[in-house]
Amino acid sequence: MSIMKKYKFIDDLTSDVLFEAYGKDLKELFSNAAEAMFSIICKIDKIKQEKTEEFVIKGEKLEDTFWNWLSGLIALVDTEEMFFSKFEIEEIDETHVKAKLHGQEIQPELGETVVKSLTNYKYEVKKTDKGYKAVVSLDI
Amino acid sequence: MKKLKQISEYEWQLPKEGNMNVNGLVIGNKSIIDGFEDDTIGQINNVAQMPGVINPVCALPDAHFGYGLPMGSVAAFDAENGVISAGLCGFDINCGVNSIRTNLDYNEIKDKMEELTKELFKAIPCGVGSKGKLRLDDEQLDQVMIKGCKWAVENGYGVKEDLENMEENGCMEGADPSKLSDLSKKRGKPQLGTLGAGNHFLEIQKVTDIYDKEFADKLKVTKKDQVLIMLHCGSRGFGHQVASEYLKIQEKAVEKYNIKLPDRQLACAPVNSPEGQDYFKAMKCAVNYSFTNRLVMTHWIREVFEKVFKKTWQEMDMHTIYGICHNVVKLEEHTINGKKKKVYVHRKGATRAFPNIPVLVAGSMGTASFICKGTEKAMEKTFGSSCHGAGRSMSRTAAIKKYRGESIKKELAEKGICACSTSPKVLAEEAPGAYKDVSEVIESVDKSGISPKVIRVEPIGVCKG
Repeated sequence: MSIMKKYKFIDDLTSDVLFEAYGKDLKELFSNAAEAMFSIICKIDKIKQEKTEEFVIKGEKLEDTFWNWLSGLIALVDTEEMFFSKFEIEEIDETHVKAKLHGQEIQPELGETVVKSLTNYKYEVKKTDKGYKAVVSLDI
Repeated sequence: MKKLKQISEYEWQLPKEGNMNVNGLVIGNKSIIDGFEDDTIGQINNVAQMPGVINPVCALPDAHFGYGLPMGSVAAFDAENGVISAGLCGFDINCGVNSIRTNLDYNEIKDKMEELTKELFKAIPCGVGSKGKLRLDDEQLDQVMIKGCKWAVENGYGVKEDLENMEENGCMEGADPSKLSDLSKKRGKPQLGTLGAGNHFLEIQKVTDIYDKEFADKLKVTKKDQVLIMLHCGSRGFGHQVASEYLKIQEKAVEKYNIKLPDRQLACAPVNSPEGQDYFKAMKCAVNYSFTNRLVMTHWIREVFEKVFKKTWQEMDMHTIYGICHNVVKLEEHTINGKKKKVYVHRKGATRAFPNIPVLVAGSMGTASFICKGTEKAMEKTFGSSCHGAGRSMSRTAAIKKYRGESIKKELAEKGICACSTSPKVLAEEAPGAYKDVSEVIESVDKSGISPKVIRVEPIGVCKG
């Protein structure tokens, strides 16, 4: 059985970042998308998992919940002054996520790019025959 | 570009058709127009369909595909029947530029450039999540939002004269912190006095050409090789949060008020609705935060120069030449069809270009920047606006694939430019080759008459996030 790819970056916009994230279930989709985003924000391979943050997010439907998840993570970089590299999802359905985020305090040399926000450009979260797929574009 | 109709050497019309309420206007020479993507013109067409939009929707020569509206464009809306749009202002509210002069000569300081750049890099927090040396409490943050640069001066950052040389004197009146979420404020408190990353930079420059001696004299830029400083940054995570939250609020307003939009990224609300006015008041908080951010860093830049050159900043005449916004919504009076009218001007990647006011145009890293001046022609053609920079021609992802940070650093060094960055990748992302040729952009705003060039500068030292 082939292993499903976690995410893929697509060269599309003249100014920003576009990626697709995949997962056999919501848990994988959310975790993989977060990993894709943090690979833009910081040198994710070098981020130690020495601090943990509890994170709970809600949404009216899957599209909102996924948006709020990634947007919430962007804000946490500033408010908790942390980079994250592991996203352990404890509970998830289409309207809520409870997760443990593992990472470390920000060190400037581990940083890469400020992600300003998610954008609506090509944004979608959908069920596929293999599980789930999301398309995310970031304004950086 | 088949759809564009040339109306003069530097002006091209996108004629009203289909659902468009008004025409589009593109400023640029033939080479700029040939380089425009169809999608960029498509975005101008989309904005021209919005309710209450005033003729024309303008694309400046640095325009490139953005979210909703291209970066490098201007759209104005009727102050009674139009809309205010968080989408059209963009995520980095009051991303902008301050230019600071010195009376130093490049030849006097060139041996100290490495030391100067390294000291500046130490003094100005750069990079993702860069930690500010200031940690504001709730009350201080409220004061920054309401008073802008007046707060900075009261607290020992900058002087009164700095305020006189800034758009809005460094403070938009009417900012209301009660229109912000707790999360926005939480992101704002630790980041005042930080540069950020991406295309933001601090640059030490030398004057290479003066085209308009009289105007340059007024700015006290008088000779070739005079050293200037340019600071390009915005409202940081604070502004990003305000923009993201109000985009969501205005997306709902679009449904609530039954506004027909060709693209959901153009989220907006009627000018006099709570969703429109609340955004305007919240946006002003981020505008003032950003003005203050640049002035706080100006203070630290002065301190570094004092340390390195053993003179006071006053002895080095380190005054603000001017400070401007690139991303902003302003309520302004313009002459529309011969009558004075209040309009909400949305400048996204565009600089105010009011008559005889400096227009600061930041080049890409390692290339020239310009100081131009605004004109009556800009008032007539582009709602008193001009370009803001070179404009990207290659995505960041493509630039990272094509360039290597280390070799870019070497190339810059060969050109005599000392560069410091937190990550080599940011140098690749921002490689000069990933941008349009700034000289074509400047020729277009100069010859079209919307903002003739005054001073050309080249970088000699760069700090990036």
